[in-house]
Order: sequence, then C-alpha cells, then structure tokens
Amino acid sequence: MTEKKIRILMAKPGLEGHWVGLLVVSRALRDAGYEVIYGGNMRPEMIADTAVQEDVDVVGLSILSANYMQLVPETIEELRKRGKGDVSVLLGGIIFQEDIDQLKQAGVAGIFPSGTPLGDIVDFVRKTVRQPV
Amino acid sequence: MDRSSTKKSTDQSSTRNNPGQAATGAETQHLSNSGIPIKEVYTPADTADVDYDKDVGLPGEPPYTRGVYRSMYRGQLWTIRRLSGFNTPEDSNKLYREEYALGQTGLAVAPDISTCVGMDCDDPRVSADVGHSGVPLCSIEDMETLLDGLPIERVSTYLAEKHGILTAMYFAVAEARGLDIAQLRGTTANCMLAWTVLNLPNQTPPQAYLRYAVDFIEWCSEHAPKWYPISFDSYNSRDLGLNAWQELGILFATTVDYIEEEKRRGRVPLDRFVRRFSFNTAAHNDFFEEIAKLRAARRMWSKIVRERYGIEDPRCGQFRVHVQSSGSTHTTQEPYNNLIRIAYQVLAGVLGGAQSIHANGYDEGVCLPTDQSMLLSIRTEQILQFETGVTNTIDPLGGSWYMESLTNELEKHAWEYMQKIEDMGGMARAIASGWVHNEYKNATIERASKTASGEIPIVGVNKFRLEKEPYRVPIFRPDPQSPQVQIEKLKRLRERRDSARVAQSLEKLEEATRRGDNVMPATIEAVKAYATLGEIANVQLRVYGEWPFPISG
Repeated sequence: MTEKKIRILMAKPGLEGHWVGLLVVSRALRDAGYEVIYGGNMRPEMIADTAVQEDVDVVGLSILSANYMQLVPETIEELRKRGKGDVSVLLGGIIFQEDIDQLKQAGVAGIFPSGTPLGDIVDFVRKTVRQPV
Repeated sequence: MDRSSTKKSTDQSSTRNNPGQAATGAETQHLSNSGIPIKEVYTPADTADVDYDKDVGLPGEPPYTRGVYRSMYRGQLWTIRRLSGFNTPEDSNKLYREEYALGQTGLAVAPDISTCVGMDCDDPRVSADVGHSGVPLCSIEDMETLLDGLPIERVSTYLAEKHGILTAMYFAVAEARGLDIAQLRGTTANCMLAWTVLNLPNQTPPQAYLRYAVDFIEWCSEHAPKWYPISFDSYNSRDLGLNAWQELGILFATTVDYIEEEKRRGRVPLDRFVRRFSFNTAAHNDFFEEIAKLRAARRMWSKIVRERYGIEDPRCGQFRVHVQSSGSTHTTQEPYNNLIRIAYQVLAGVLGGAQSIHANGYDEGVCLPTDQSMLLSIRTEQILQFETGVTNTIDPLGGSWYMESLTNELEKHAWEYMQKIEDMGGMARAIASGWVHNEYKNATIERASKTASGEIPIVGVNKFRLEKEPYRVPIFRPDPQSPQVQIEKLKRLRERRDSARVAQSLEKLEEATRRGDNVMPATIEAVKAYATLGEIANVQLRVYGEWPFPISG
C-alpha cells in the first residue's frame, strides 16, 4: 500500500506581487516528495477555503511586506473557523527577528526568513509534520 | 546558456577555498554573470573588427556608444533620484521635502501596492496593504497633499504608475497651481514589462498596457513635450533572473511593440512619438558587464531608431537611462554589506553613463528605508559625484579591449534574444502567451539551485556565513494608522463631491475607451471631477478584463 503524501498549500496573502520565494520553496518541497498546491496570491479567506478543499496538512505563507502581523493571524483565524486549526502554518519572507515570538504565539509553527537554506525548510517539514493516515 | 557568475572548474572546491590560487589551468572557464566566456587577458586582436567612427564614435554623436550627450557629466551630473513613498500622502510629502533639502535633484513617487493595482483605500481587499511599500494615492486630493509646497515647476518627477491615472492627477494639480503643463519635467513609468512580472490582482492584459501607454505618449507629444511619457523598464525582469543581454533583448522588443502600435495608428509622426522615450535598467553585480550593457544599449537604440525606422532626429536615438542598484542582489543577512554592493553597482551605472541613478537603501532586503539608510543612499551618489573624480572624463573605459569586446558580445546576444521575441509576434504577445514568465520561472529556479549549491556565491549567505547574525539594523515599520486615516479622508471626499458629475465623467471615459479614442482627455476630466483611482481603474478592467498571472507553480 502506498503511503498517503503530506499535502502543502503554498500561498501569498495580501496584495504585494513578489513570487520568487513562494515558487522556489514550492519547488523544493515538491522535489522532496511532498504534494504541493501552488496557490499564488490569495486573500486569507481563500487560503482557508482552499486548505479545506484540498485537505492539506501544511499551509506555507510567503510575505515580503511588513503587514504579516495582520495577515498571518487573519489567515490562522480563517483556518480555525473552518475547523482547520490543526494544520501546520509556515511563514517565509522578510520577517523581523523581534516579531518571531509573537508570531509563534499566534500559531505559526515554523518561520523561515529570506536567505534560509531550502534544505532547512524541507527538514522542518520532515521532522514536524506527521504523515497523514 | 549558463547564467551564473562563477568560475567553472573541474575542481570547484579547491578554487573556491583558495581564490588566490590558480586552478588547473586550461580546464577553468571564467564566465560573466550572463554566461559570456571571459578571457584571461584582452589584446588589440579582440577589437580588430571595431570601426571606431562607426561603432564607437564620440559622445553625443550616433551611435552614442560613449554617451548620449557631448559633455556628459561635465555638463550635467546625473540626477539623484530615489523612488520613495510610505504611510500617507502627508508623511510622504514630508519625506520628499527632506529629500529635496538634502540635495536630491529629482522626486520619484512610489505608490503603495493598493494604488498600483488600482484599488481605493476603502476597498475591503486592501486593508493590510495601505501605506506599505509606497504612498497611497486615491484621488486628486491625495496628489495635492503629496505635492504641497514642492516646487514642481523646478524639479523633475518620476511617477511609478501605469495607464496614466496618477499622471493625470499630477497634471491637474499643476494646472490648478497655474503652471503650464508644457513646461513640466518628469517621467511616467508606463511600461508593461515592469508591471506584468508581478503577481497582482486586478491586472489588465498586456494589450491594455500597450493601448494606454501609446495613448499617453501621443497625448504628451502634443501637450507635455518636456515630459518623458514612458520609461521602458527592465529592472524587475532583471531582478527575476534574466541576464544582461536578455534584459536588453526584452527592453528593445518592447520599444518596437510601442512604435509599431503607433505606426498602425498613424496619429503622431514617429519622430515625435519616440523623441521622449526613456529607459530604466538594473545595475547588477558583474561590474564590467553592467558598464558594457549600458554602452551596448545606447548603440542598439541608436540603430533601431536610425536604421530600422529611418528617424534622423538625433534626440530620438539617445538612450536616456535611469539605473537602479539591483534589489535581488541585496541580502537580509548582514545588511551593511549591501552598502558596498550598492556603491559598486552605482559606480557601474556612472561609468556606464546613466542620466539618473537610484542607490537602494542598504536595508532594501529588510524594510522600507529608514531615515538613516535614505541619507546614506543619497550620500553614496554625492560622494561619487564630488569626491572620486569619476566624472572628469567621459566613458573612461571606452577603448579598453575588454570593454569594447564585452560590449560587442552583449549586443550580439541581445539582438538574437530580441529577434526571438519578435518572431513570436512581439513583446505583448510574448507576455500574453506566458513565454516570458516561463523564462523568469526557469531563471529563478536555476538561480535558487545554484545559490543552494554555492555555485553562485553570496557573501554572508552561502559563503562565509556566520552561525549567528552579527548585528541588527534599525527597522522601519509603516504606520498602522495609515489605512484608517486614508479611509476617512476618502469617505469625506465621496460625501462631498458631485456624484452626478463623477458618474458622468466615468461614463465618458468608458465610451472613449471603447471607441478607441485617446483616453487622456477623459481621464483628466475624471480626476478633476474627483473620480477616484479605483473608479477609473474599474473602467479599464470593465473594458479589458482581468489578466490571469501566467505562473501557477
């Protein structure tokens, strides 16, 4: 019997148009054998809806504008509203060191500021996300 | 072609660890950032086929390889122009006044992302983005506030916008001040390349960019002859991984699209149409290649104008360029290292003969610039202008066997890349079909894998990386109150304005757009009637539809 693969939704909440980080991390996760759904630029409600529809285990967010303190908790709240509060939320992009504790308290499982080696992100998923059954 | 800026060697680890030590001779190949093989040493044989008068010549004379003006920086220094804007029009106005007082010689308005996508501040989709990465400008009132007390009759202003709405507001404000629009100096971005690379909602298709920009150029050629109505802009494309000759290829393929569109329309004589074209490129890491790129660009543009279109007016063939240090080369690790990168990149722009330069903030990879980093950017350029002596003579690297040979190589590759795009039906089609985005995607993935493997070395990131970040830099945070301030101003405007007049002006704009008239007169009427940016952008979207971003994973 084949094992069920971990499913990951990769998206950018907010308007800002950078996409390189999202694409590159998506590729690295796909190459590592995960099922990756590339959402691109989406509003928080859309991210949560897609996370439910696609039954994902991980939601990866990429933000390069300083508005993550608003958009990330908003996205987590939308996930919780839909009973998807158990997904592992990862955040990459330009994230200030002093915000990391607060983001973790808000429910972000892993934070990967720009310049993080791709292997570190893959390792994090491997170590922390349980294989779905 | 290989795009890395690295040495290719059969024994990579030994060359990397001992950069001073010669690798195993013949097996080592040195490539430029764009993959052009570089020789150990250049001799007169490498430029034997260069005809000085025809291929190089004097500055100010076609093909302008050495510079577009006869006296270059001895006559006029390049303009120090930093793209900036944040929080609210009030705060940005204060910033512009400070920049002006510091000796910055041109203003450059960076609208925030909600303004860029044509959404008003009270649009529920934008709340988290208002005042981030630029200044929100929803109506002519915001533009009045932004320009308050600034001598727009004396400075030149760059507006990073599309489709002419913000410039319509700018012109209307100038007119209300009693200024003659025909005397105003400035630039409107207006290039489809710069915008369509971004994954944004509310995007109009490439054909709409072409239409609005050509309308705007036509209008300016009659009413604002001192304004640069377009800045063909390959900066973002370069930052997405295209190399130096690809950058030139897409840049000029785009110019040809615009000229061909006007040729088809036949409303304005071509020499008048192209007279005020201007350009915007990146200044990337490979120092000599970037200088050669600007030299090659000047020669190519001169050839396009004179040989392809038979336009003799010397002003038309001058490749006037604004250069910006390349944001993608700046790192979030050890941000002060970026100061050094920026200084080298700006120097390349200067030795390459740019007319206007933006030195990024060293904190570009971290946040919007702080006061301190803004000051340093301006000082970086002023130190070059007044202390280093680099402005004493024109094109100081001209005649170098290496430089002339590299200029030729870049030009050759750029023509080929441009031809490839023209064979696809031109730039707008190459964007619409997704081809260009596929190029960006491949370049991005390739760069990421070479960065991961260390083949592209980045000091402090994948080379000599410290276990722990050695220091932190001050951070700029946008004011969280900005969205609310803007929303309230807009609410009051909506209550106060004559809504019948607004509706009528928007209707007229839509009719003009659908009829194929030049949209500028109706756009200016609409902004004067206090129609908002979002309302005008919605007319554009209604006519052209929303363009889906071609990258989906």
